[in-house]
Amino acid sequence: MIQSSTSKSQKSPVKGAGLPSSATQKRRSLLNNDASRAVILQAFVLMLALFGLWFLFANASENLNRLGMTFGFDFLQVTAGFNISWSLIPYDPSMSYLRVFFVGIVNTLILSFCVIVVGTLIGTLVGILRLSENPLVSQLARWYVEIVRNVPLLIQIIFWFTVVFSTLPAPRESYHLGEWFFLNNRGLYVTTLQSAVSWGWVLALVAGFILLLYGLLRWSKPYYALSGSRSSGFYIGLVVWALLAGWALWFFVNAMTLSVPTLQGFNFSGGAYLPASFGAAFVAMTVYRSAAIAETVRAGMQSIDRGQHEAAFTIGFSRVQSLRLILIPQAIRSIIPPMTNSWLTSVKDSSLAVAIGFPELVSVFMQTSMNQTGRAIEIIFMVMGFYIFISLLISYLLNKYNDSVQYKVR
Amino acid sequence: MDDLNVKNPPTLKQFVPTPPRPPRQSKSGIFGTIRQRCFNSIGNSVLTLCVIAVLFYLVKHVLDWAVFNAVFIADNRRQCMDISPDGACWAGVISWFNGLIYGRFPVDEQWRVNVGVLLGLVWLLPLMSKRIPLRNVILLSWIGLYPFVGAYLFLGGRFGAELGWVHGVMTCLALAFLTIIYANWILSVWDKKGLNELFVPLVSRFVERRIHLLSFVAAWLLIALVMAFALNQVSLEPVAIERWGGLFLTFIIASFAITMAIPIGVVLALGRRSKLPVIHWLSMTVIELVRSVPLITVLFMAVTLLPIFLPADVEFNKLAQVLVAVCIFAGAYMAENIRGGLQAIPKGQYEAAATLGLGYLHTMALIILPQALRMMIPNIMTSFISLLKDTTLVSIIGLFDIMLMARNIANDKDWVGMHTEPLVMISVLFFLFCYSMSQYSLTLEKRLKVDR
Repeated sequence: MIQSSTSKSQKSPVKGAGLPSSATQKRRSLLNNDASRAVILQAFVLMLALFGLWFLFANASENLNRLGMTFGFDFLQVTAGFNISWSLIPYDPSMSYLRVFFVGIVNTLILSFCVIVVGTLIGTLVGILRLSENPLVSQLARWYVEIVRNVPLLIQIIFWFTVVFSTLPAPRESYHLGEWFFLNNRGLYVTTLQSAVSWGWVLALVAGFILLLYGLLRWSKPYYALSGSRSSGFYIGLVVWALLAGWALWFFVNAMTLSVPTLQGFNFSGGAYLPASFGAAFVAMTVYRSAAIAETVRAGMQSIDRGQHEAAFTIGFSRVQSLRLILIPQAIRSIIPPMTNSWLTSVKDSSLAVAIGFPELVSVFMQTSMNQTGRAIEIIFMVMGFYIFISLLISYLLNKYNDSVQYKVR
Repeated sequence: MDDLNVKNPPTLKQFVPTPPRPPRQSKSGIFGTIRQRCFNSIGNSVLTLCVIAVLFYLVKHVLDWAVFNAVFIADNRRQCMDISPDGACWAGVISWFNGLIYGRFPVDEQWRVNVGVLLGLVWLLPLMSKRIPLRNVILLSWIGLYPFVGAYLFLGGRFGAELGWVHGVMTCLALAFLTIIYANWILSVWDKKGLNELFVPLVSRFVERRIHLLSFVAAWLLIALVMAFALNQVSLEPVAIERWGGLFLTFIIASFAITMAIPIGVVLALGRRSKLPVIHWLSMTVIELVRSVPLITVLFMAVTLLPIFLPADVEFNKLAQVLVAVCIFAGAYMAENIRGGLQAIPKGQYEAAATLGLGYLHTMALIILPQALRMMIPNIMTSFISLLKDTTLVSIIGLFDIMLMARNIANDKDWVGMHTEPLVMISVLFFLFCYSMSQYSLTLEKRLKVDR
C-alpha cells in the first residue's frame, strides 16, 4: 500500500503536465489547494448533516400528521392527574405536567446528591484501605471493589429492592429505634422537626452565622499571620458570636415541635417518609459508586512518586500525617478529573431507579407522563436537556476548581 | 597496627567498641511476614482481628445459605421450603437454566445457538497462531462476514423465503472464507502451499497481473458454490427474533455494539481532532451530547422516536431499535477512548508519514490508526465489559435478556416469589465473565507495555 500510494503521487504531476487542459487543471488545483479543499469538505459535511436533520424532521412532521398528533409544549400546563408515590416538593394530582417534571428533577437530584456524598466518603476510605500494608485489609477492600464493579448496577438495585428492602417486616412489626425511627417494607419513617418559623429563615440565619464566623477569621488573619496567636479582639468577637448563636438556637428549639411517626391502621402518619425504593436505589448506587471511586482514589494515590512516601517517612511523619500532609494533597490533582466523571455517571445512573419504581425523572416523566400525553418528542428532549444541562454544569464547575488546584507553573 | 599502639601514650582512653546488638528478629518466613504486616501495632492487630471476624461471619453465612442448606433437587418452591427453609433453592434456577442462557429460543433448536457461538470463536482462533499471515484480514472477515453466518443459524428459515438472497450469498461466502482460512492453516502446518495456490496455474493462463489475489477469489467462489449446494439441502426451522433472549441476547447486543462502536468511534475521534472547525464542532457536539445522557433515555428514544423520525414504510423490530441506540451510545464512548489512543501517538509518527508524502487518509489508515488501535485493545476490552453490564438495561424496555428472564422466574407458577436465587445466579455469571475479561485485559496491557 505504501508503495502504491507513493508511486501514485509521483505519477500525478507527470499526468497533469501531459494534459494541459485548463478546465481539468483548474479543478485539480481547487482540490489540491489545502484551503479550498477544507472549505469544500466542510461544506459537504455540513450539507450532509443538515440534510440528515431535514430528512428526520420532514419524516417526523409527516408521521405526526398521519397519526393526528401535534407538536408543542402546551401540554405542560395540563393537569397531570396521577399520583406520585414520593415527592420532596409539594405535589398532588391536580398539578400540571410541568410540576411533574420538577418533581422528577428534584427526586433525581436528591437521590444522586446523597449517593455522591456518601459514595465519595466510603469510596475514599476503601481506596485508602486498598493501599493498606495489612494484606488482609487490602485484600478485603480489593474484593469488595472487584465484586461490586463486575456485577451490573441494575442487578444490584433490583437485588437490594427485592431481596433486602421488600423482605423487611410489615409496618406493624417494623424495626424501630426508640419511638423515632421505623424501618419496614414500605420504607423508613423518620421523626422530623417542625418549626413555627419557616425553614427558609432558619437556613438564612445559619448561613448568616457561618458568614459571620468566616468574616471574624478573615479579619483576625493578618494579626495571626504576624504573631502566631489570635488577638484579644478575636476572642471577644468569638464570645459575642457564640452568645448570639446560642440565643438563636434556644429561640429555634422553643419554636420547634417534633413530628413523630405513629402507626394508624396499616400505615404510619406524621414524620417524614423515605420509600423503600429510595433506600434500595440509594444503597445499591452508593455501593457501586464507592467501588468506582475507590479505584479512582487508589490509582491517584499510586500515581504519586514513591520518593514522596519515603521522604515523608524519613522526616518522621506517621502514616496518617504523611497521608494528610503529603500524599492526599498531591493525589487530589490526579483524582479530581476522574472523580468528576464518576459523579456525573452517578447522576446518569440514578435513572436506573426507574426499574424499581422510584419516582425519578425518567420514571415520572418519560414513562408515566409520556404514556398519558403521547408527546414523545417534547418529553424526550426535555429529559435529555436536563441531563445535558447537569453534566455541562458539573463539568464546568469542576474544571474551574481543577484549574485552581493544578500546579502553578511559574 | 603495632606501630600505632606503640605511638599512642598508654594514658589515653582507648576506644572500646560496644558489643554488637543481638540480631533482629527474623522478618522472613510466613510467620515473620504476618507478624510484621498484620500485628505490628495494637491498632493494626485489632483491625486484623476485626477483618477476620467479619470474613468468618460472611463466609459462614454465605456458605450455609448457598451450599450446606441449599436444595438442588426439587419440583417446586414449596418442596424446597419443606426440605430446607433457610437455604437457597437452586432447583428452580437449575430448571430454568436453559431459559437464562437461551431465553425463549425453542428447546430443539438451541444447538444452533451453541454452534453459532462456537463458530464465532473458531473463526477467531487462528488469530492466536503466529503462522497465519494477514491476521488483520481474518479479524475484518469476522466483523464483516461472520454476522451473516450467525444470523442464519439464529434465525433459520430458507433463503429467498424468510431470509433475503443477499443474506444467503453472504452466508455462503462467509462459510467458504472460513473453510479457506482453516484449510490454509492446516496445510501450512505441513509446510504445504495454501488452497488458493492450487488455482495459480489455471489463473495465470488467462491474466498476468494480481494472480494470487485472483486465484484466491477463484478458490473462494468455487467453495462458496459448494457451500450453496450444501446449504440448499438443509432447512432450519425459522425462529422469530422475539424469541431470542437470555445471556445469548445479552452477548449479541454487546458484541454487535462493540464491533460497530469501533468504526463509529474512529470517525468521531478523527473528526474531533480535525483542524476543520465544522467537522470538529459537529463531532464534538455528537460525542458530548451522547455521553451526557443516560443509556436508558437513549433506549427510550430509540424505541419511541425512531418510528416517528423514520419514513412510515421503514419498520424496525425492537431489537434493531435497541441495537441502533446501543451502537450510537457505545460509539461516542469509544470515540473518547480512541482519542486517548491517538493522543498517545508521538508527533514524530505524523511527521514521518508526512515526509514519506502520505496524505491524510494514508497517514491515518497505515501509520496512526494501527498503532493507536493496538494500544487501545485493553481499553476496548474494558468498554466491552461496561457495555456487557449496561446491556441489562434493555430489560427495562422489555427485551427478554438474561435480567428479564431471571426476574420472570418469580412469575412461574412452580417458583412463585423466587427472587434471590436467580439474581445471585446471574450476578455470579456476570462476575465470572467481567472479572476474567478484566484480568485478561490487564495482562494484555502489561504485555503491550513491554512490547513498546
